[in-house]
Amino acid sequence: MICAPDGAQAIQVEDLWFSFGNRRVLEGVSFQVAAGSFVALIGPNGAGKSTVLRLLLGVLKPQRGQITILGRPPGGQGRPIGYVPQGIRLPKGFPISVLDVVLMGRYANVGLFRRPGKEDQRLARASLESVGMAHLAGRRFEDLSGGQQQRVLIARALVGDPCLLVLDEPTAGLDPAARARFYGSVCDLQRARGLTLFCASHDVEDVAQHAQNLILLDHTVRAQGAPQEVLKGMAIPEVYHFPPPHVHAEPHGHGGAP
Amino acid sequence: MIEFLSYGFIQRALLTGSVLGATCAVLAVFVVLRRMAFIGVGISHAALGGVALGLLAGLPPVASAGVFSVAVAWVIGLITRRGEVSQDTAIGIFFPTAMALGVALISLSPTYRQDLMGYLFGSILSVAPQDLWLLLGLAGISLGVLALFFKEFLFLGVDEEAAKAAGLPADFLNYLLLSILAVTIVAAMKLVGIVLVSAFLVIPAATGQTLARSVRGMVLLSVASALVSVFMGLWLSWLWNLPSGASIVLFAAALFFASYFGNAVRNRAGALPSDDQGPTPPSGHPRAP
Repeated sequence: MICAPDGAQAIQVEDLWFSFGNRRVLEGVSFQVAAGSFVALIGPNGAGKSTVLRLLLGVLKPQRGQITILGRPPGGQGRPIGYVPQGIRLPKGFPISVLDVVLMGRYANVGLFRRPGKEDQRLARASLESVGMAHLAGRRFEDLSGGQQQRVLIARALVGDPCLLVLDEPTAGLDPAARARFYGSVCDLQRARGLTLFCASHDVEDVAQHAQNLILLDHTVRAQGAPQEVLKGMAIPEVYHFPPPHVHAEPHGHGGAP
Repeated sequence: MIEFLSYGFIQRALLTGSVLGATCAVLAVFVVLRRMAFIGVGISHAALGGVALGLLAGLPPVASAGVFSVAVAWVIGLITRRGEVSQDTAIGIFFPTAMALGVALISLSPTYRQDLMGYLFGSILSVAPQDLWLLLGLAGISLGVLALFFKEFLFLGVDEEAAKAAGLPADFLNYLLLSILAVTIVAAMKLVGIVLVSAFLVIPAATGQTLARSVRGMVLLSVASALVSVFMGLWLSWLWNLPSGASIVLFAAALFFASYFGNAVRNRAGALPSDDQGPTPPSGHPRAP
């Protein structure tokens, strides 16, 4: 299914400013993300990555500047944005199943005062199948490993049939092999569905191997472009206060099987 | 047992207690999920301020406590949302302040002290026919809201950020949940009293969580545990001349400990049956990361 015409921009951010009280987090941030591409937002702690994501999702409102997602302002109706958080923290022992977590991705389609029906269940199981987790549909979510939980959250994001997948530190807490498998399977899904991926991450080396473009954020955009260009530039050591990591950036490379 | 069930006041107590207990039990699932147990304690004790204001002003205490408790719940919610004071601190300020207000106002008139004991420790056996409809109405409103917005409350409790991103009106739903929590607490004061009502907002759901393998199972087991506790608590209260609120809560706690230790023994034995699990992966199935 085509989400946007070739060459169109999935995300356009212009002169974005945002403060929490007296603390200014974003100062004139501007960038664009082409439809169908994988772009990673990198930067140190406190650089404003999560704030950018929350603004894109419509959870926060810009204090100045403009955001356009697939030609519309954030939070509007239309095909939803799939959101994959760092994880979800449930009370210990809370018995929610994997299938119930994925069904939450259908709630926006189901609407208020109605319950998910058989078609929603079928779509949720199909979404779990697409990330190789259908056999665990009846398990408690908390019984899964960190990597399995992330796959379930991707299935939840995909079940609403989004054009854009926004991922917030999706591999935090995973070991290197699990991170590689995660990005490999995400890239496969991107190609198969024609998705646009926008991912905030600390894992500069991992995302540099898979993303087509990096955006280096430190309250403002310090650098953006192909991974090799950004990593070789002067902005990285200035922002991170240490030399850039040695990375073999191969856009659309594969860290592992899905 | 037949004699126990033959009295009109026992029948009214059982009917009221069952409806209020079931309402508390469904709400308790969200109290546990959202870690709101301390809010329940805070609102229930703050309700005493509303009772005292109602007694002094000549208003129905349940109505004044309802309005007062909803107001306190909203203020706690507002302060917490602004992020300047933590939720624990906000509750820690309003809980003793509103209760102190209630104690101070009630102390002004010695004739109110008898009423005070009823609100503190519950008096379900003295529910008058006219009270019955008011309490059932309040419980019905809470149950109706929970039924209408069950999936939205669940989504918000599991992942508030994703729920907001999906377009759910998170602030409205959060205040709605606080409101029905306050209304249910005020209605349930007659059942187990201000001091013990917060226990009824946690223990049945904790029992359900221990045994269930799904959210649906947790809700059903939570309600079942509340209903059994109300019936057995009232019966034991009648049998041994115990305070009804205390015996209901003690029976609910006994059910929790029985389920907790029973579950521990079952887990140790390696058998973990489930109520609705799907197929488990075959042995040797490659595990995802």
